[in-house]
Amino acid sequence: MSEPRAFPGAAWARWTRTGRAGGYLLGSLLSGVATLVALPLLCVPRLARLWAGWHRDRARRLLATTPAPPPAGPATGHPTGRTSRALLWLPVNALTGVAFGLPALLCVGNVVVAVVATPLWWAFDARDRPRLFVDVPVPDWTTALTLGPLQVLLLAVAAYLVFPPVAHAHARICLAVVSAHPTDEQLAERVAVLTRTRADVLDAHGAELRRIERDLHDGTQARLVAIAMRLAVARQAFADRTRDDQLVADLLREAHEGTEEAMTELREVIRTVYPPILADRGLDGALTAVTSRCVVPTRLDLGSLGLVPAAAEAIVYFAVAEALTNVARHSRATAASVRVHRVADRLSTVITDNGVGGADDRRGTGIAGIRRRVLALDGTVDLDSPVGGPTTVTVELPCGW
Amino acid sequence: MRVVIAEDNVLLSSGLELLLGRAGFRTVAVAVDAPGFLAAVREHRPDVTIVDVRLPPSFRDEGIHAALRARREHPGLPVLVLSQYVEQQYAAELLSTSGGGVGYLLKDRVSRVDEFVDALRRVADGGTAMDPEVIAQLVRRAGDPIAALTPREREVLALMAQGRDNTAIAGQLVVTDNAVHKHIGNIFAKLGLAVTDSGHRRVLAVLAYLNAAGGTGGGTR
Repeated sequence: MSEPRAFPGAAWARWTRTGRAGGYLLGSLLSGVATLVALPLLCVPRLARLWAGWHRDRARRLLATTPAPPPAGPATGHPTGRTSRALLWLPVNALTGVAFGLPALLCVGNVVVAVVATPLWWAFDARDRPRLFVDVPVPDWTTALTLGPLQVLLLAVAAYLVFPPVAHAHARICLAVVSAHPTDEQLAERVAVLTRTRADVLDAHGAELRRIERDLHDGTQARLVAIAMRLAVARQAFADRTRDDQLVADLLREAHEGTEEAMTELREVIRTVYPPILADRGLDGALTAVTSRCVVPTRLDLGSLGLVPAAAEAIVYFAVAEALTNVARHSRATAASVRVHRVADRLSTVITDNGVGGADDRRGTGIAGIRRRVLALDGTVDLDSPVGGPTTVTVELPCGW
Repeated sequence: MRVVIAEDNVLLSSGLELLLGRAGFRTVAVAVDAPGFLAAVREHRPDVTIVDVRLPPSFRDEGIHAALRARREHPGLPVLVLSQYVEQQYAAELLSTSGGGVGYLLKDRVSRVDEFVDALRRVADGGTAMDPEVIAQLVRRAGDPIAALTPREREVLALMAQGRDNTAIAGQLVVTDNAVHKHIGNIFAKLGLAVTDSGHRRVLAVLAYLNAAGGTGGGTR
């Protein structure tokens, strides 16, 4: 059953890609022409960098949807390098935009011509009939009804075959020019950072295991021992010849209460290891639950995340829960929003509120705890909270392992 | 009273059977997964059902879905859902099905046999049994308006929200029915709620109030 349904699905996806690629190519043509027109203005370094950055994001968005992983990570490098790359992009953009975009425009334009000419050829003046296949005038219905659909069909097939690879080639050229090419020095630095963060990961992991062990050992296990002792004494007292019913009842009651406390504690330990709602409903359901629980009305905006490692999901969940707790406690906000998106191999979580600001993560332990967990995964936490608000917490995690 | 249980852990299901047997219930079937539970409900038409949230094969929230589905197939089927932890979302989903006869309790509560059996009876009779922990979370969240209530009134409010009737509340707090009646009158007056008779409708009214007081816009997508 699934086979025949899968095929149209795949073809449809390919058509969607063709449409996206066509839009991208026409956009490239426009931006190429715009570059030529506004060249003097775009030579201002700041504008050049913005212009190049916009193209880079656009190219990444196009490539991120294809199965092949995008070539570049987060942009690194010195500002001067970025400026020279951005300036280099201006002529390359003008050239490739026109060279790659013009055929796409011709293709789309001629589809439009055929679609208009086929039913309406007669409405044009006899000396100025619309032409199909570049130079064939349309004098009658027979020509219109054969050549018109044929032209649409051929051009559609051409677009279907050619648009996606050409658009991807343009996007790759763009990224090759605009993205940083790490030098040996930068790579060495990156290796040093990764070595350090890996050590941090191991440390954080070890500390987490020790915490869990301590919680279970000092809490649950100790309680079970206490319960077992009370039950043992109760059994003895029950078998005594001069039985003290009150003592047995007290011991049983204490043992019973002990089991309830042990269960409560165990639940808390489990929650800090991996939140059960996350296991039950995934990140989507867990974040829906945590945002709808927040006293401050909170909007949740969840992009398409693909497969996210469980460790990253747990951190996103803890970060959102912690940030929203702070929103409820300190911010005096009337609205908050949580936005989780993935661009290529970066998972970014942004929690914003419209409160009074002035948050400082050195004072509370909550955000500091999140920062430690995030750093352990080679991610970053940004807290932006000027006095008077608004407060924005941004958590970025790599998730392309 | 005939009970169908959906619980894959034999330790827990045999414990439940033992406890229910002593309290005068008859366990007619123990299902170990959702399809088995739905089939058992169709076959036995039990007076009340007990469902664990996590069931095979994926041990996520199959129990909630099975409970909701069973109530769709058999409107008014009393369902008591047991969970290792409380999640307001689940409570809200269960309460959103029409009619009474729903319960949502922490598994821990089973060990308080009398209270558990009382809750199960209430659910079987078309009443409600919400875990005190769910209610405590809602009350904490509700904040300001609840602050106008006296501590005793807050206790009464929480018990009402759990689904207890006036007599049970009076018993729990060791006061007279009359005193409870007065407290309830005060609570409804202070919160500006229309007085509702006891039972499921009153629970829904109180829960809706708490929910609204705790911030409404949550989780809009």
